[in-house]
Amino acid sequence: MSALEVAGASKIFNQGTTKQVDALIDVNLTVNPGEFVSLIGPSGCGKSTLLRLIANLLEPTSGSVSVNNKTAAQARLDQDYGMAFQQAGLFDWRTVSKNIELPLELKGWDKAKREARAKEMLELVKLPEFADLYPWQLSGGMQQRIAIARALAAHPPLLLMDEPFGALDEMTREYMQGELLRICGETSTTVVFVTHSIPEAVYLSNRVVVMSPRPGRITEVIDVDLGSKRNEDTRAADGFFKSITAVREALRGTHADHAAANAIRGVEDR
Amino acid sequence: MLARRIAYRSAMFVVAITSVVVLWELYKILGPQDGGKFFGVSILPRANDTAMPHFSTMLSRYGRPEVRGSDKKIWVVVLSGAMFSLRLSLVGFFLGTTIGVGLAVLMSRYRIVQRGLLPYLVMSQTVPLIALAPLVVSWGGKLEIGSFIWPRWLSASILGTFLAFFPIAVGTLRGLASAPAAAVELMDSYAASWKQTLFKLRFPAAVPFMVPAFKLGASGAVVGVVVAEISTGLKGGIGRLIIEYAREATGDPAKVFTAVFGAAALGITMSGLVALSDVLLMRNRPKETTT
Repeated sequence: MSALEVAGASKIFNQGTTKQVDALIDVNLTVNPGEFVSLIGPSGCGKSTLLRLIANLLEPTSGSVSVNNKTAAQARLDQDYGMAFQQAGLFDWRTVSKNIELPLELKGWDKAKREARAKEMLELVKLPEFADLYPWQLSGGMQQRIAIARALAAHPPLLLMDEPFGALDEMTREYMQGELLRICGETSTTVVFVTHSIPEAVYLSNRVVVMSPRPGRITEVIDVDLGSKRNEDTRAADGFFKSITAVREALRGTHADHAAANAIRGVEDR
Repeated sequence: MLARRIAYRSAMFVVAITSVVVLWELYKILGPQDGGKFFGVSILPRANDTAMPHFSTMLSRYGRPEVRGSDKKIWVVVLSGAMFSLRLSLVGFFLGTTIGVGLAVLMSRYRIVQRGLLPYLVMSQTVPLIALAPLVVSWGGKLEIGSFIWPRWLSASILGTFLAFFPIAVGTLRGLASAPAAAVELMDSYAASWKQTLFKLRFPAAVPFMVPAFKLGASGAVVGVVVAEISTGLKGGIGRLIIEYAREATGDPAKVFTAVFGAAALGITMSGLVALSDVLLMRNRPKETTT
């Protein structure tokens, strides 16, 4: 059983008009339970579009997406996945704890159960003493950890992340990567992770999916063999650099043909 | 923190009032008694006691009877007039809020309603209130639903509503649309219903826009009611007092000011009520968004 299956999915915006954009063409991707998969590629390669197809925030023009052997639409209704974005997107008017409770409220959980789960999640992201503060009183890294806690509050089997650490400084970013691996390991969550950063993709992933633009498609899938226990030493390991080089070469191949077209037309990359 | 802010604001209020009084009295000393004329056109107002009574005269006028020989002191009359108008304004404001917020929700829900309705709302505000007042009175007079008979004062409240609903509708609409796209997407990813998104995201996000809109709406309701009292000749309110006392301006110049201050106090009370809600609603928000 796969955690996620994308079969022959295409997404074409403004089909049949002069503004037609082939965001994704014939994408096939299978993700196994517990796997960490990164999507990487230049702007406009459709990686965010692919994430939104999986999340059922967009419908594919053709092909199919299934999560947990359900249609993407059903998986969304059942809250089979949690989502985190580049901006933490916490609600200013809710305390940290109430922010984490939001998805549970929407699911109709009772108050006591919600509060217990929020407490549990705060301990998971190691911020238990911040429950009653408001998001704007926290640093960017802390806010992002709260956003991850919110995404995982309902214990979804799948976590979708769209450049969640893109707005953080390098040190916080590396710390957050370690935390994310620990949290996903403890909760055995499957992750699909969109990023611009090659080291980030390699450090986090079991597999790195390299994409290229115009039309958006998967050009290469690179296995990262760094074992399941990764720590700060991993960043200095030979295998780490080898994988980085492999991803970089794969990206270079995609980039050269399309760089010029990219510069001129520049499709919005979310 | 909150107490300090309130103390600071009250102090600034006193300073503002005092400086107006000082300027008034200063002009009375320095200004020309019969007005300043340049090439036959009067530019500077007259500084004599008929045009500009001393501030102390206005205050002491509150302590004397409304009309000679009556035992009713004028402050009692002005206060009850202001209270009467305050009740009408509150009704107008309440109706305006209901209609304004309702329209905003409807417009944010259905783009086609927004496109169709908004131009008419904008146009409605260009109709002079004075022209509308007799119409509302005559329509209201014809209205009979069961045992409900349209009271005369309701026409004045409706005109208050007419001025109040517009800023509230526009402000709330902007506020509802101000929820960040990422937050809306987040709610979608939770498969939240439209209603859940409205109450858990859009309304809270709209509060910083709604509070200033309510302030405008509150003062609009007061203006609408006072103007309606004057133009429909409704008795009992502060608007009627202003008109009556203005007729005696030559014989008793301080009298009209007692009613004018009453109307000002009424407006301040209304916006004070809204300001209070502002302090309560925005107390846990980041400082940048408080206005």
